[in-house]
Amino acid sequence: MDHRPQAWGRPRDDVYGAYDASYLQANGPNQHTQSPIVTGTSVVAMKFKDGVVMAADNLASYGSLARFTDVKRIRTFADTSIIGFGGDVSDMQYLDRHLTELGIDEAYQSEAGHTLNARNLHKYLSNLLYNRRSKFDPLWNHLLVAGLDEESRPFLAAADLLGTTFTSPSLATGFGGMLAQPIMRRYVPDEAAVAGVSRDQAVEVIRECMKVLFYRDARSLDSYSLAIVTKDGVELRENEKLEQQSWAFADRIKGYGTQTV
Amino acid sequence: MTSIGTGYDLANSIFSPDGRNFQVEYAVKAVENGGTSIGIRCKDGVVLAVEKVITSKLLKPGANKRIATIDKHLGVVYSGMVPDGHHFVDRARDEARAWRETFKTPISTSDLSSRMGGYLQAYTLYQSVRPFGITAIIGGFDSELEAPVDGQVGSGPSIGAGGKVEGKHGGPGLYMIEPSGMYWGYYGAATGKGRQAAKAELEKLNLAEGTLDLKQAVKEAAKIIYIAQQDNKDKEFELEMSWISNADGPTKGRHMEVPKDLLEEAERLAKKAISEDDEEEEEGNEKMEE
Amino acid sequence: MAMFSQNPVLNGPNYSFAEVPKDAVDGLREHRFNPYTDNGGSTLAIAGADFAIMAGDTRLTSGYSINTRYAPKVFKIGGTTSSQDDANLLLSVVGYAADGEALQERLDAICKMYRYRHGKPMSVSACAKRLSTIMYQKRFFPYYVYAILGGLDEDGRGAVYSYDPVGSFEREQCRAGGAAASLIMPFLDNQVNFKNQYVPGTGVGHELKERERLPLPRNEVEVLVKDAFDSAVERHIEVGDGLQIMIITKDGIEEKVLPLKRD
Repeated sequence: MDHRPQAWGRPRDDVYGAYDASYLQANGPNQHTQSPIVTGTSVVAMKFKDGVVMAADNLASYGSLARFTDVKRIRTFADTSIIGFGGDVSDMQYLDRHLTELGIDEAYQSEAGHTLNARNLHKYLSNLLYNRRSKFDPLWNHLLVAGLDEESRPFLAAADLLGTTFTSPSLATGFGGMLAQPIMRRYVPDEAAVAGVSRDQAVEVIRECMKVLFYRDARSLDSYSLAIVTKDGVELRENEKLEQQSWAFADRIKGYGTQTV
Repeated sequence: MTSIGTGYDLANSIFSPDGRNFQVEYAVKAVENGGTSIGIRCKDGVVLAVEKVITSKLLKPGANKRIATIDKHLGVVYSGMVPDGHHFVDRARDEARAWRETFKTPISTSDLSSRMGGYLQAYTLYQSVRPFGITAIIGGFDSELEAPVDGQVGSGPSIGAGGKVEGKHGGPGLYMIEPSGMYWGYYGAATGKGRQAAKAELEKLNLAEGTLDLKQAVKEAAKIIYIAQQDNKDKEFELEMSWISNADGPTKGRHMEVPKDLLEEAERLAKKAISEDDEEEEEGNEKMEE
Repeated sequence: MAMFSQNPVLNGPNYSFAEVPKDAVDGLREHRFNPYTDNGGSTLAIAGADFAIMAGDTRLTSGYSINTRYAPKVFKIGGTTSSQDDANLLLSVVGYAADGEALQERLDAICKMYRYRHGKPMSVSACAKRLSTIMYQKRFFPYYVYAILGGLDEDGRGAVYSYDPVGSFEREQCRAGGAAASLIMPFLDNQVNFKNQYVPGTGVGHELKERERLPLPRNEVEVLVKDAFDSAVERHIEVGDGLQIMIITKDGIEEKVLPLKRD
């Protein structure tokens, strides 16, 4: 009998034939992430006059399989900032734990309260992502970071697995970049337009974007998380449902499946 | 000091013939000279308070905090040798972090106390070390909500047990650890120079009944520190207080400093209370004289 | 049952990971992570007699998507404050934006350290060489950027240094970089260096005299920059949205942002 740990819990060779242990990679090289496995799709966000609204659906896909349907992809940091995660879910969890630790370290300095605002947080995360890509071991995520900057103005910025960063009055990752961004840009084409958008309007626009994404993104879900961040803190609702869907447009789509037009 | 000259007080790890470790007892002496620290466990949270003796007028008011945050939901205050306290805090933070790393969940107040109790106890065993010259009070609020695992993404099965333990769990916790490593859970704890007076006042609060709420506790804590300081009036001091509520309370389950306005109000009431006491005393004295 | 085992059982049960033939690996199948991307955009720098002008569009793209319409590519370098009010150098970076930012931050940190240690700002020529070293040190994992460094030299003349991604550099009168470099550079050759401009009536063929090269005045250069970008925007999809212009003179650095077409 073999008592090596590698043999624990495996079917007996003499009974079931040789076990294919090739996947164990007993003394192979360390593997870096070469592609994401369980993934989240778009995150969308836009600024309004007092803050930022962000949304992401609650789905984690395994390829084309809708694998987990209650995955919360918007995380809060220090009750003052939010982060929306697109891409690999396990890397998101790694980052989430990392941020929890960072948040505790921040809490040690109780005198000034939390010292990291959304801009600092975004810089921290983008440096983390850039350093990981430079080690050829990327964290496979596209993040949106939202909150307020050092002058309490709305802040919204993105960072991706390559460490590319950018900021804009509205942002969307993944499919959202194609489908949601044009909708949001109608309301906030530039920084100046932000002051003219109310909270309710922004929430409305974001909900509309989530609906459009659900219509057209095959890796999306009708249950989603919605977060609003203002100077009063973060309001995070994690079980929103798409309302008043209308699939009437589907009737007009021709050329797919077995239709003969 | 019966121990002096016997040689049994020269090192840890050597018992005296009557079964005492004098090094530990001397450490307790160090604690007894420190500024008073107290902790109150009330129905909806924990309050920590310390009498911070001002050793120099050149120190910046409000700086050099004596109450430390260990994890989001945990705070520590101590009396005795401040550098020992700093090391205690560093170690407690490491313990809390290591716990999170292995279990992906915050450490409970009792578990942290157990770990730190064990750590202090180890400093009573070896020749090469001395015991901690502090008595620490650990306050915490273990979440009553269903505790998510750090980094958890879903909410688990919506039906069936799903590994969830039914019934009430979590709540406020208060522990005091002595230089020997001995620790108990308390409703109210006090240590340092004014501990006797403070304990007497704490007992009057009937904390075991669970009627006192957090805001009242803050005011009581301030009063107790002021009362405990009465015998030591010549020394100037600063009052430092922190609190921890449940998730619905004012600190949202976090350990934080008591906000400035509340602290000032509590101090005002405390000062008023002791001055009234003084007047009564004086009146009493006058009557006696009559 | 042992007969089902792929390897012979000799004496009783045994385990066989080490001996079992692994699944045949038919050649190398590799899916590698690509650490680079191109974020589009274009930059341009022209040196004048007593000024240097640096410009870049503010569009940042990923493929056909516009990530943002305002991502500056020209940076002040070597100031002592976060506002960089007292900076004496300009750097433009275009290509892979994350590398660009990393390079910019590193050069800025180095120039700041120089300033603290020596009590004076770094000269353009010194910084130019230093930037080359920084880039060449990453020769085998380069910063994927086309950088241009601008400032005033020791004689107060405009100076422009241009770089390739591995740190090869040269001082030039003018340089265009990035996506629309090939569109803008010939225009600059003609309009700044007067290439293919001859003095009329000086002869035929090789007899023709070239137009004398003189540094252009600032107002003309500003118009030239705007024209160059307006043309590039027409023909290149990755260029547009805004035009950031920085002008360095002995009086300091002026910055302006003009609109470009957003289509």
